[in-house]
Amino acid sequence: MIRSAWRRLVRFLGSAGLAIWLLVIVGVWSMVATLIPQGAATDHEVTVWASAHPLVEPVVRAIGLHQAFTSLLFTVCVLALGVCTALCAWKRTKAAMDKAGTLRRAAVADERSLTARHDLEIACDPALSGAEVLSIASETLNHLGIKTKRRKDLLTAVSSPWSVWGSAVFHWALLALILALIVGNLLRSEGLMGVAVGQTKADAPVSYGELHAGPMRDWSRVHRSIRVDAFDPHFRTGGIDRGPTPTVSVLDGAGKVIKTQRVYPNMTLKTGSLTIYPSDWGLSATLSLVNTSGVETARSVQLVDFSEEATDGTVPVGSVNVSDSAGNALLRVSVSVPLDHSGDKLLKGIPKKPAALVVVTSPDDKPVLDRIVSPGEGVTLPSGDTLRLDTIGYYARLSVVDDWSIPLLYAGLVIAIIGLTIAVAARQQIVLATVIEGPDGAKLAATMRLWRNASSSRSEIERELGQALSRVEEGSTT
Amino acid sequence: MTFEIVLMWVALTFYAVATALFAFGVTFSKDKLSRQALFVSALGLAFQVASLGIRWARLGHGPYLGFYEVANALVLCAVAFFVIVAWRNPRLSAAGIAVMPVAVLLLGGAMLAPKAGMPITAKLASYWLFIHVAFANLAFGAFAVSFGCAIAYVIRERSTSGKWAKRLERLPAQDVLENLTVRFVLVGFLFWAIMIATGAIWANEAWGRYWSWDPIETWSLIVWIFYAVYLHLRFTLRWHGERLAWYAIIAMPLALFALIGIPLAFNTPHAGIGGFGKDL
Repeated sequence: MIRSAWRRLVRFLGSAGLAIWLLVIVGVWSMVATLIPQGAATDHEVTVWASAHPLVEPVVRAIGLHQAFTSLLFTVCVLALGVCTALCAWKRTKAAMDKAGTLRRAAVADERSLTARHDLEIACDPALSGAEVLSIASETLNHLGIKTKRRKDLLTAVSSPWSVWGSAVFHWALLALILALIVGNLLRSEGLMGVAVGQTKADAPVSYGELHAGPMRDWSRVHRSIRVDAFDPHFRTGGIDRGPTPTVSVLDGAGKVIKTQRVYPNMTLKTGSLTIYPSDWGLSATLSLVNTSGVETARSVQLVDFSEEATDGTVPVGSVNVSDSAGNALLRVSVSVPLDHSGDKLLKGIPKKPAALVVVTSPDDKPVLDRIVSPGEGVTLPSGDTLRLDTIGYYARLSVVDDWSIPLLYAGLVIAIIGLTIAVAARQQIVLATVIEGPDGAKLAATMRLWRNASSSRSEIERELGQALSRVEEGSTT
Repeated sequence: MTFEIVLMWVALTFYAVATALFAFGVTFSKDKLSRQALFVSALGLAFQVASLGIRWARLGHGPYLGFYEVANALVLCAVAFFVIVAWRNPRLSAAGIAVMPVAVLLLGGAMLAPKAGMPITAKLASYWLFIHVAFANLAFGAFAVSFGCAIAYVIRERSTSGKWAKRLERLPAQDVLENLTVRFVLVGFLFWAIMIATGAIWANEAWGRYWSWDPIETWSLIVWIFYAVYLHLRFTLRWHGERLAWYAIIAMPLALFALIGIPLAFNTPHAGIGGFGKDL
């Protein structure tokens, strides 16, 4: 009973009907998803769409269409498709083994076995000899795109046994791709890390401004850091402006440089499973806290983003707390950098006369002081300490992806394409023909298996052979 | 109007004439007209190749950017595929009544779009661009021919007797037409898969992400799934006949929409490739 139910379940999961329905669901779901803004419920586009479509929004939200490609329904469908693909691949493997066996047997078939067992007989003009029949049949098949070989009194056009493996290989590769995607997503991390020129940040969650890590991501095994060595806002190479380009180094746990290079579009830094790409850029301000004795007690690098909305053209990425010896926050400091103008246009980059607007507030956001300072200058805090601006420079917001599944995905794609190419291009056919001499004259006995990619159809071959082999007779009677 | 554009207008004129000749050839059962139409299509193709060749030499890059170039490349591949197939098998010339109008409409639309050349930007400066776009064009070419074969199949299927049956009797047998449709779908499916795979690899090289569910990526996948369903219906559920042909007829415009409609309708990183010159 259980075995029978299991068999039925396996049959259902491996059925073409289910596969087609799942493909249709995934396709339609994806189609609808492109029409609906994707993102969290708090995202601006999502909230605007939700208020514009109050009737459908509850349904859209309930089924997860705003995060369509990570939603439960989509994930279940993809997983079911994976199971379907596995069972389908298994069925195709068995079918390919059977077909390969048939092809191998056909390759060594002889006239006697074909005479004893064939599935087609074509009566020939009695005036034709056996050799002429085979010659005409060969020419006709050749004309239809089927190249034959002559083996004694046998015409053969038998595909190689590997020709039947394309579909099975393709489906196994698809399954491998789905598995690699799933496992990769469980283990990968992808985030944005802002690193100022000269700054080094550990590759750890605390260093990222935005981070998406898989549930099985193990950070304890990551021992490396990322440094930005230089920044060129207008890097040109090969006659093309590559845009703002940082030079990035990846260092191992001991601080030894593993790899250094400029990173720009189409020139990502790759080392091991790590890929680094410059996502954005901005300015940075290095601040030092100097006590009343003139000793530097703390240093911080503040990142500043360009902003069309801000009056001075930049906004602070975050703020830094000034704390007492017990760790209690006393003050909050944020920095922006007033940009130079060209007419109405703000010029992105370090101003000709660099300066920073330092805003100091209490922990509950009450203003304490704000002042524009140049590098080397400082502001005196109520405690008597001085907050000094050391330098203004650039920072690069790096997209850092750690995903070891990418080479596996590439390998899976290549294997899938090879399998598909074989399935598309390789002919899967058996055409065997010989002549049977009888009291009514010669007959062409043939066996045909045109599984896939045959250049002609069975009916056309029968018709063309029939016409060709009776042509002489027709010619003689007219 | 530059010489390059004049050549393109000549190519468009030849395609329009070929469309008319195919229509007359099939309607009045004149084989000679269909042969002439094929020759005129080939002539138009030569002019189009010359025009695009001049443009390539002038701009230093292939037809990848903007609606004018993208539509041109798609038409080039569709007509080239058709001419080669029909040249090898003249009985398939009748499929020109379906393929050539698509070429004329698409190229006509391209002639109305801005034709100024766009430079290769940093994000596009990669050899993957050529590979990715080439396979997109080849896939469309194959789908366009499958569309033509499927239309020829449906027309004849619905004309079993009377004048039209006689007019279409020179077409290959229905099962041969169906096999050809399936073969071109298979070829297009393979090329489309390569287009998606190379796009994913390129995206990873260029942006550090191999897939981001961008509308173009998503629609490429939708089209691929649509054709995957076609192939499953054909090979696993043994569908055949008119309903399978209708499926191939519906699928091709979907592929065309994914290639040139989506970049126009959605704001995507691919916008400059298919859109009316949107910034990348």
